[in-house]
Amino acid sequence: MRASPIGLCLIGLATAAAVSVSPLAVSGARAQETPQQGGDLVMVRAEQLRTLLPSAPTDNASIWVIEEAFDTLLLPKADGSGVGPDLATSWSQSADGLSWTFHLRHGVTFTNGQPLTSKDVKFSIEQTQKPSSPFSFIDASIAKITTPDAYTVVIQTKQPFAPLPSDMAIFANSIVPYSYAGMTPDAFAKHPIGSGAFMLKSWTPGVEVSFVRNPHYWRQGRPYLNSITFKEVADSNTRANEVQGGQAQIDEFPAYSSILALQNSGGAVKVGIYPSSRVDFLSINNTHKPFDNADVRRAIASSIDKKTLVKVVLFGHGTPAGAYMSPSSWSFDKSITGYPYDLKAAKAYLAKSPVPNGFSSTITVYSGNSDQQTTAQILQASLAKIGIKITIQTLDPSAAYDAQQNGNYDMSFSYDTTDIVDPDEIIRFVGSYDGGSHSLYSFYKNKQIDTWIDQAATQNDQAARTTLYKKVQQQWDKDQPDVPLYYTPEIYAYGGNVHGFHPFVTGNYDLADVWLSK
Amino acid sequence: MLRFLARRFLLLIPVVLGVATLTFVLMHMAPGDPARTYLGDRATPAALAALRHQWGLDQPLWRQYLTFMGGLAVGNLGQSMFFHHSILTLLAIRLPPTLWLMGMATLFSIVISVPLATWMAVSRGGIVDAGVRSFNSIAQGTPLFFTGAVLIAIFSLHFRWFPVAGYGNDLSQHIASLVLPSISIALAIVPFLVRGLRGALMDALSSEYVSFAKAKGLGRRSIWINYALKNAAITGISILGIQVGYLAGGTLVVENVFAIPGMGTFLMSGILNRDFPVVQASALVFALLVIFVYLLTDIAYGLCDPRVRVK
Repeated sequence: MRASPIGLCLIGLATAAAVSVSPLAVSGARAQETPQQGGDLVMVRAEQLRTLLPSAPTDNASIWVIEEAFDTLLLPKADGSGVGPDLATSWSQSADGLSWTFHLRHGVTFTNGQPLTSKDVKFSIEQTQKPSSPFSFIDASIAKITTPDAYTVVIQTKQPFAPLPSDMAIFANSIVPYSYAGMTPDAFAKHPIGSGAFMLKSWTPGVEVSFVRNPHYWRQGRPYLNSITFKEVADSNTRANEVQGGQAQIDEFPAYSSILALQNSGGAVKVGIYPSSRVDFLSINNTHKPFDNADVRRAIASSIDKKTLVKVVLFGHGTPAGAYMSPSSWSFDKSITGYPYDLKAAKAYLAKSPVPNGFSSTITVYSGNSDQQTTAQILQASLAKIGIKITIQTLDPSAAYDAQQNGNYDMSFSYDTTDIVDPDEIIRFVGSYDGGSHSLYSFYKNKQIDTWIDQAATQNDQAARTTLYKKVQQQWDKDQPDVPLYYTPEIYAYGGNVHGFHPFVTGNYDLADVWLSK
Repeated sequence: MLRFLARRFLLLIPVVLGVATLTFVLMHMAPGDPARTYLGDRATPAALAALRHQWGLDQPLWRQYLTFMGGLAVGNLGQSMFFHHSILTLLAIRLPPTLWLMGMATLFSIVISVPLATWMAVSRGGIVDAGVRSFNSIAQGTPLFFTGAVLIAIFSLHFRWFPVAGYGNDLSQHIASLVLPSISIALAIVPFLVRGLRGALMDALSSEYVSFAKAKGLGRRSIWINYALKNAAITGISILGIQVGYLAGGTLVVENVFAIPGMGTFLMSGILNRDFPVVQASALVFALLVIFVYLLTDIAYGLCDPRVRVK
């Protein structure tokens, strides 16, 4: 059939219209995407800022704020795959592997006008190496720091140490002025001087802290925002209300139960789901009988319905866990599936153990944490089916933490997140007795795993390190000292006018890239 | 009057000693190491020991107690272990919002209760009575955080008349931020006050002196103000005094829901952090607040009721 002339005409017109409209539409969209200068951002969070001294804190609330005011030699890549330049423009390892040389960027100044040189870098790292600093372990491999000239820093390590560049990206190694610009550490903690995108304006402890843009920031054109304010708001409903009401622009960690409502709030509030390194566990105290027996632990692992936990506790925002490393790490062994939910298998494991008829025990839960309460109740019901009677003991966070640290508990909940983009920190934290938490409170000791971990740290080849890390995870999975529960993302709710917000896998925000549209 | 005040101030001393000692003992009995809480998992034993020494926690208990009491005697409340700021500085930030909240809540309680109680007393039963009683039951039975959440949803999110939460930066913002929280608190006090006032008003209205006043030919307004309300006020003040006394320590829930940086949340975070100086100072402040409120109640009572003054 011949196409009608009118039909052809119409098609032609339509095509012409489409072709002529689309460049306009594209440039229109691009115009909206051009960052605008100005604006004041308010972020509401549950936790309180404790200190602005980089070598002091361990709490994320302080860490993520410090990172806005200070710079590090290197910066983690947003997806966690490695590190990129920040204050250091290039870096290399010596042929014998025993030292790393960093070349500093020229023209960087602190907010007091002082230029940033290698003297400041050496001083900063040495503060964190002091035994009083809680993150001194991260610089434990460093033997000596030398400064051949004002823009070169050489870090000598006791053994070849592959994770060093990642360690130079951690907040604890933020660069402060030499000798804290003449202040005592305590005074500096309240009047910090950094080279970062923002500088402190005012701090009302326990209430809020405010920063203004650093006009001398070395990254041209950044930050876009005029000021950022972090407010401490304990109640998750209040935080959600503040974002909906326009009083705040970003809500850190809205409650899982509120996410669906926020997503359906009609565009005024958006929910951002970002990859995180967080892994949650059921911690089992391997020093308390009968948990010293691996079959008992395997029985418990087989009684946990992880898929249901993700649905009920996380409202679907998570994935059941297998390996103990996070999928965001390059060392993650995705072949490990953990122990599937199978009550018959659980009974079989228990039958092989010294307590085939079950036993009584307690699970310790942090008060005020409804997710832990719910999970404990689900576990209580499941374990009862194989003859294990659980009582739920609720303690306030300080007491519960104490109990975990000192091994005064049977089972409890714990989690880890990484502060660096290298697997070294967490592979030790969870798998090694001396890794900082007694193998995530299980008090599990495995010399073979420790050897593999130490070996991997001395090698540069990522493939070789991955092989060793996979061996570690597989051995650990066989022994199940703890039970990995799920991997969760980081969730933020933010106003529709917020652009460029992209928290890293390591948790830091980098608000220098954020801009507000009108 | 002066002797009365002087006696009251002298009574403060044993109260302060008692509260300080009790809080000290309770906090140190609770498990949980503040140094460990502060430094986290990977703190070396050296770091923990250094911090404990800095905070004076390695001293024997009796010496820590004496140091604290000694400091108290000269007005030195110490430093917050977690915030490295002096307690007095922190109290100067946290106390005013709580005081404002208590004051505005008291004001709203009176403003809501007096007309309601008067209306009930005048109507003497019927639909008004039933209506106000239902309102009282609902107000008393509704938890504070729910009332707060509903008020926020309607007046902040929907009508946008008030801020959603927070305390604001200047006086006008402070007051605007405290309206809804104060009303939430007031709604918890109103049931008690309305019941008491209504009873007292009805008693007054059926008393002999009011009958006499009516017989004398005094106007309705005059009878109400000079006879009924003034006599009912005595009962009202007693009830209000007790309720506001509870309030001194009870603002925690409202402060949490409305994100007001007051004494309630200050004490709560101090307890969770095991920040001993914060807890001890807050407990003392609360005790002093309660005593002060009772003192004000007694003075107001004396002002209203000349029979009490004669003593």
